[in-house]
Amino acid sequence: MKVVIIGASFAGVAAALEVSNRYSDAEVILLEKQVTLGYIPNGLHLYWDKKIEHLNDARFTTREQLEKEGITCCLHAEVQKINIDKKVIAYDYHGKEESIAYDKLIIATGSHQLSDKIIGGSEESVLKYKWYDQAQAALSRVKESQRVAIIGGGQVGVEAADLLIRQGKKVTLIESMDYVLFKYFDKEMIHPITRKMVEAGLDVRLQKTVSSVSMEPDNTTTVVLGNETVAADAVVMSVNVRPDLDFLDNRIELNADSTIAVDCYLRTSAKDVFAVGDCIQLSGPGEDRVYIPVINNAVRTGMVAASNLIEPTTPFKGSLRTIGTKVFDHYIASTGLTEAESAFTGRRVKSHRQEVRLSSYENAETAVLKWVYDAQNHELLGAQITSTADVLEKINTLALAIQTKQTIEALQQKDYFFHPSYVNMVSATNLVPWIGERTDRDES
Amino acid sequence: MRVEDFLEKNEVREMTIFNRLVLNKGVVPFADLLDDLSISKASLEKDIGSLTDRIRVFNGQVSIQYDGKMIELAMSDELSLQHIQRMYLSQSIKIAIINFLFKYQEFSITQLTQELAISESSLFRKIKELNRHLKPFGIKIRNGQMQGEELQIRYFYFQFYRYIDNQSSLQAENGVSQMIQGMEKFLNRSIPSDNRQRLITWFSISRFRIHVKEKTYNELRSKMKPYMTDPLYRELQVFVLRYFSRYAVEVDEVEAMIHFSFLLSFPIITEEDFHEYKLIRNRHVPIASTDTFIVETIINHFKFRRLPYMLEREIAYHLTHIHTRMYFFQGDIEIYDYDEILSKEKQLIGKDLVSFARRLLDISRNMLETHTKEKGNGHKMEVLKYTSLLILISLKMTSVIHIGIDLKMDSIYKETLSELLMLRIRPINGVLIERYETGKDYDLILTNRSPLEKDYYDGARLYLLSEIMSSFDMENIQNIIQELNH
Repeated sequence: MKVVIIGASFAGVAAALEVSNRYSDAEVILLEKQVTLGYIPNGLHLYWDKKIEHLNDARFTTREQLEKEGITCCLHAEVQKINIDKKVIAYDYHGKEESIAYDKLIIATGSHQLSDKIIGGSEESVLKYKWYDQAQAALSRVKESQRVAIIGGGQVGVEAADLLIRQGKKVTLIESMDYVLFKYFDKEMIHPITRKMVEAGLDVRLQKTVSSVSMEPDNTTTVVLGNETVAADAVVMSVNVRPDLDFLDNRIELNADSTIAVDCYLRTSAKDVFAVGDCIQLSGPGEDRVYIPVINNAVRTGMVAASNLIEPTTPFKGSLRTIGTKVFDHYIASTGLTEAESAFTGRRVKSHRQEVRLSSYENAETAVLKWVYDAQNHELLGAQITSTADVLEKINTLALAIQTKQTIEALQQKDYFFHPSYVNMVSATNLVPWIGERTDRDES
Repeated sequence: MRVEDFLEKNEVREMTIFNRLVLNKGVVPFADLLDDLSISKASLEKDIGSLTDRIRVFNGQVSIQYDGKMIELAMSDELSLQHIQRMYLSQSIKIAIINFLFKYQEFSITQLTQELAISESSLFRKIKELNRHLKPFGIKIRNGQMQGEELQIRYFYFQFYRYIDNQSSLQAENGVSQMIQGMEKFLNRSIPSDNRQRLITWFSISRFRIHVKEKTYNELRSKMKPYMTDPLYRELQVFVLRYFSRYAVEVDEVEAMIHFSFLLSFPIITEEDFHEYKLIRNRHVPIASTDTFIVETIINHFKFRRLPYMLEREIAYHLTHIHTRMYFFQGDIEIYDYDEILSKEKQLIGKDLVSFARRLLDISRNMLETHTKEKGNGHKMEVLKYTSLLILISLKMTSVIHIGIDLKMDSIYKETLSELLMLRIRPINGVLIERYETGKDYDLILTNRSPLEKDYYDGARLYLLSEIMSSFDMENIQNIIQELNH
């Protein structure tokens, strides 16, 4: 069985590893557009954060590791066309036209930061650094810059703002919504962090949409947002990502947002063609189909598609959009439905927010937790945590609780270890209203 | 633009024949039709033949007989003229072109000629005709695309799918009801089911149009300038950006502007919710100040001191729809026959209100600076809307006048003449007329003899009939009623 996988980022690599592990007769070929593989998207942040010495260290796997698993890696191979009748892929390999036949095909081409709306947004001076070569260019440009404007207040934008402020740069963060990180957090949860951002010197412009970015003769850039302008030496584009699927056979069905339509086994409308990662919509926290381009989905869908290559056996369980990061001295994490997003579900939700102490000591650090649950059956639907202590791992417990449909009453009885250094009477993820300080009443 | 503009000339004639038949209880002499339509005998015969062919799809539920003299129509109770019109529209090439354009956003001439099985030249001709009708909307079909301001394109499709092709393939997907549900929650306002239908059509069109790459918003952006801090717009902006952030599409605040202009141009939110919004909106922006100025002009015209609170609220709600639509949109599909309705209304209310409505239109056009945009018959429908509103006001402001008839004569005449008088006076708006009963309060007493005591009718105004049922008396009575009304 010849399995061709287009794209060697997280989704493609996870699929390749799963295929070669699962099917001993499979010949796995990875086609990757970039010259290198295994670069961690936005690995530049790790470098800025001094977690790695060289940008090139931001790799989650190497060609050697994959080839050891029997996977053939074709780098610098850009797919031009797929023919689903003949089961052949035409691609450009080091400038030459090549083609390859497949028995099974997995499309894992990922996504890019694209903007058709921002005039000048695709200029080179507007930095995008999801991929290695982009990151290299961005690195030197930002180094020389004193004033940086960041377009988009999602996870990438806020992380970048934090890292650049720490480097002493003058940073402006522009977000079109009324608060940053709105996909993952409710407004009141993020408010204290926004305050910290401003205190740290970040210029936060909310409810502002960038209409154009233009290069001035003196090599600086002007970002236009409504009636305002921001002058910057470098502009970072951290808007929503979107897939780039020009090479697709137009008989492969697409969703309305131009992502590839797949069923729960990640099969596309074409026989033996699967799509994973940032190319597809999947079942989200509200159980409807949405676009959630996060790495854990890429990895999980890659593995699920691989396991369904011959027979549809394993449905994809869906995504809770679980994230965790540290920004402006706060660890923040979220999983499942936010209260704001619940507006798009048929469910009536209630929420509960409380501040809990993380140990039994008097001067213990605290965490603020928000629980979003079904008003009727009390099933946990979403959770958000912010703290100055590293509580990130706790979100995984809550994600599992949501996936296994636990009620808040069941969570009160969740088993946990007690140690006074780590727990104050009851574990932080056991919702017990009288533990810690309740920061609001039930909202409905 | 009218529904007929989507049909061919002979189809319009055939529809007219149908109309005449229905209006004339199913039978029309051939000769009358010849005069009416001013066409040759051969053409009319051809039309009748074509008509007979077309109605075969109804499987005998409708039939036309022509014996050389009379044309006769028989139609089942379950069919109406609307079904016939729909049948004609469903075969319209022009409608098929619009549908194709909407669905695929772009076409090549070869693609479309094959799809519609017509020649290139007739495709060009139809596009040319369509473009003539699209002109008042400020849009046109060019290079296989619908071109113009995005807001106008959506508005045209909205009118098209509501009034022309309302049976079409524009099916609401799941996403649309989710979008409405989300909007209701975000705005904390619920949308009544009638209004929801409008919104479903609008959102369905919008979701389709989101993916069109090149769109123009220049005019909308400039018109929205005074509204950037509008509370409803701000709320919508948050909703729209959040909704679309769930998909792999790039949406900016212009999408919220589009929905803002729609939401206030049509009855979507309830009158009560609008009232709440009205209290917090900026009163100095073009639409709000036009609303206020027009209300004041109406109050002055009728010489009211002020309008009752609830009536003023209702009027403000309607006026804002008229003015928002004038401010943001251009062009209209005339679903009602303007001239016919206006002439009916004129009969009912007299010419005064219509000319006043025209004056209101002039004022609002000046205030909203839309006078340059629409020429000729522009804003025709707005005259109708203002007139309807004025009728509504005059009906609601008319207080009920109690009239008592107290005829002094032989009972046999008294009974009959009182009944006849009541029959004559009852249709006058705002009166309650009955035979006089002692002890009841009346505003006006009609009698044929002066009462012996001065205060016999408890201060009610008295009119002495000179000659019962005479036109002289009737006119005097009407004048008194009008006098009492003010």
